[in-house]
Amino acid sequence: MFQHTALRYTALILLAAGAFAQAVTAGYFGLEVLTEILLLAMLVLALDMVAGFGGMVSLCHGALMGLGAYAYAILTTKAGIAPPVAMAGAIAITGVAAWVIGAIGARSHGIYFIMATLAFGQMAYSYVFEAPLFGGDDGMGGIPRLDLTLIGLDLNDSRSFALFCLLLLAASYGAAVLILRSGLGRSLIGVMHNEQRMRALGLTVWRIKADVFGLSGMIAGLAGALAAQHVMYISPGPLAWTVSGEALVVVILGGLGTLVGPMIGAAAFVVLKHEVSNVTSYWHLVVGVLLIAVVMSRANGLFGWIEARWGARLERRLSDLTRKSDAEEVPTDA
Amino acid sequence: MLETRNLDKSFGAVHVTRDVSLKLERGERRVILGPNGAGKTTLFNLLVGELTPDSGAVLLAGEDVTALPVAKRARRGLSRSYQKNTLFDGLTVEENLGLAAAVHTGSATRLWGDSLATPEVREIVEEVAEQVRLMPYLHAKVSEVSYGVRRQLEVGVALATRPLVLLMDEPTSGVGPEMAKGFHELLNDLPRDLTLLIIEHDMDLAFDVADTITVLNYGEVVFDGLPDAARGSKLLKEIYLGSWEDA
Ligand SMILES: Nc1ncnc2c1ncn2[C@@H]1O[C@H](COP(=O)(O)OP(=O)(O)OP(=O)(O)O)[C@@H](O)[C@H]1O
Ligand SMILES: [Mg+2]
Repeated sequence: MFQHTALRYTALILLAAGAFAQAVTAGYFGLEVLTEILLLAMLVLALDMVAGFGGMVSLCHGALMGLGAYAYAILTTKAGIAPPVAMAGAIAITGVAAWVIGAIGARSHGIYFIMATLAFGQMAYSYVFEAPLFGGDDGMGGIPRLDLTLIGLDLNDSRSFALFCLLLLAASYGAAVLILRSGLGRSLIGVMHNEQRMRALGLTVWRIKADVFGLSGMIAGLAGALAAQHVMYISPGPLAWTVSGEALVVVILGGLGTLVGPMIGAAAFVVLKHEVSNVTSYWHLVVGVLLIAVVMSRANGLFGWIEARWGARLERRLSDLTRKSDAEEVPTDA
Repeated sequence: MLETRNLDKSFGAVHVTRDVSLKLERGERRVILGPNGAGKTTLFNLLVGELTPDSGAVLLAGEDVTALPVAKRARRGLSRSYQKNTLFDGLTVEENLGLAAAVHTGSATRLWGDSLATPEVREIVEEVAEQVRLMPYLHAKVSEVSYGVRRQLEVGVALATRPLVLLMDEPTSGVGPEMAKGFHELLNDLPRDLTLLIIEHDMDLAFDVADTITVLNYGEVVFDGLPDAARGSKLLKEIYLGSWEDA
């Protein structure tokens, strides 16, 4: 089961505090970078749910996010549907698409599952690229942002928009944790450990996989609907498989199956991208070297490495502290 | 309770199951004996649906389940343990039992709330842990407990689905004689209405628990009857040779 350790709580608080401080103080460029981080974090969170807890390594999560973005764009600009409803619609559509992909892919494993998801992603990419409804190569513009002036939030202001994304990322994280701790999440983890046994116990394995893949797709769809609002324009680019590949790299760099790690990975990845590309255009090379270092170190990503080194120590410190305070209470009782 | 009719299975040119017909009454405890490669495990795989027979039928509680997939047969009350441990290695003993119990109670698919925290699941986990003597190990990870304890858990996980029929594939394989004896006491303590089909290598141990005995040889049923009759059978002497002399 997914568990919160002292180290994970600490990392979460630091992440949230850092993002909040950045949202409040940063200038325009800083806010753009922050929003980019938050949306990538949402995508890798969705991906880690299926890859890290169900062994379903997906190469279509970028395309799912793109689907969410296009769904929102079409529902608002072409169908004239109000943005809040369109957002819910985009999430639902992406969820259903992901559920179907999960259901079809459920019977394949490892490299075959990866290829199946890649195929679905590429199909979506080429369809969007060619279809006139989606604006083809040119993409679609004029995508409206959600109107939250009722609660005093003007989302056309980048600061408010970044805060809004932070809020929804926190909600997505909470949802992911609840899902992984539910009966469904438990069963998914059981399937990852031993699919044959789960089936022999009477579990309909493909349903579990499809359901969690669908839920993960909903989070990716939300990320997409937000991304469309962020740049107010959408083109087929984000559906390309390289985006999914990048998300996978971030999950692995951050720490597969830790939820927290991939979000840290997203922050590191985006910051690194901007910093390094200022200095040299070979920034992919830097990421490549990092990825090789992480894979060769056999640590579970950056966060996995931190957990292995300091997780137990922090836990011990804390239990020492609580024991000490317990001991201090004894005399007052007597 | 569990019945097979003329089951046949070949792997290529190897005929592994030959015209096997068995019938287990409710609460019956039957032991399957047979030398290595006799087709015992294959028969289990055919019974639970992990393999499809070339011909013949499997009936559970009077209904033909031959066309049903593994999970559906399991939900109808057919459960098995494996000859080679098939556990959730990274999880605790308690979680292993809980996952199985959750499938049985229906909480394994729910989106709201921890399936292992429900009163029904907790009750089953506790009861099964008592039955297979796992109480002291509940919070240990599978990777941290001894091989013998894992064998107990292997049966425990199968029991935690509260089956009508429990198939056990050499539950004592690889454990010492002392522990095997303990295992058979444990099996004798199981509820009497549970139908048991047990593959066992060791004759002496088989006689500890068996109401009836079936002997497989080259995929064929060569003996089907009471333990006393098995003891006197000449054919079995030939098949079992050495170990038979000591019985
Ligand atoms: N999937 C398979 N493909 C090909 N041959 C198989 C397969 N499964 C089993 N066999 C063969 O079928 C025969 C019976 O195997 P099985 O495992 O059922 O024997 P067993 O009675 O359980 O033996 P043991 O006492 O060693 O466990 C063996 O010759 C084995 O090699
Ligand atoms: Mg066998």
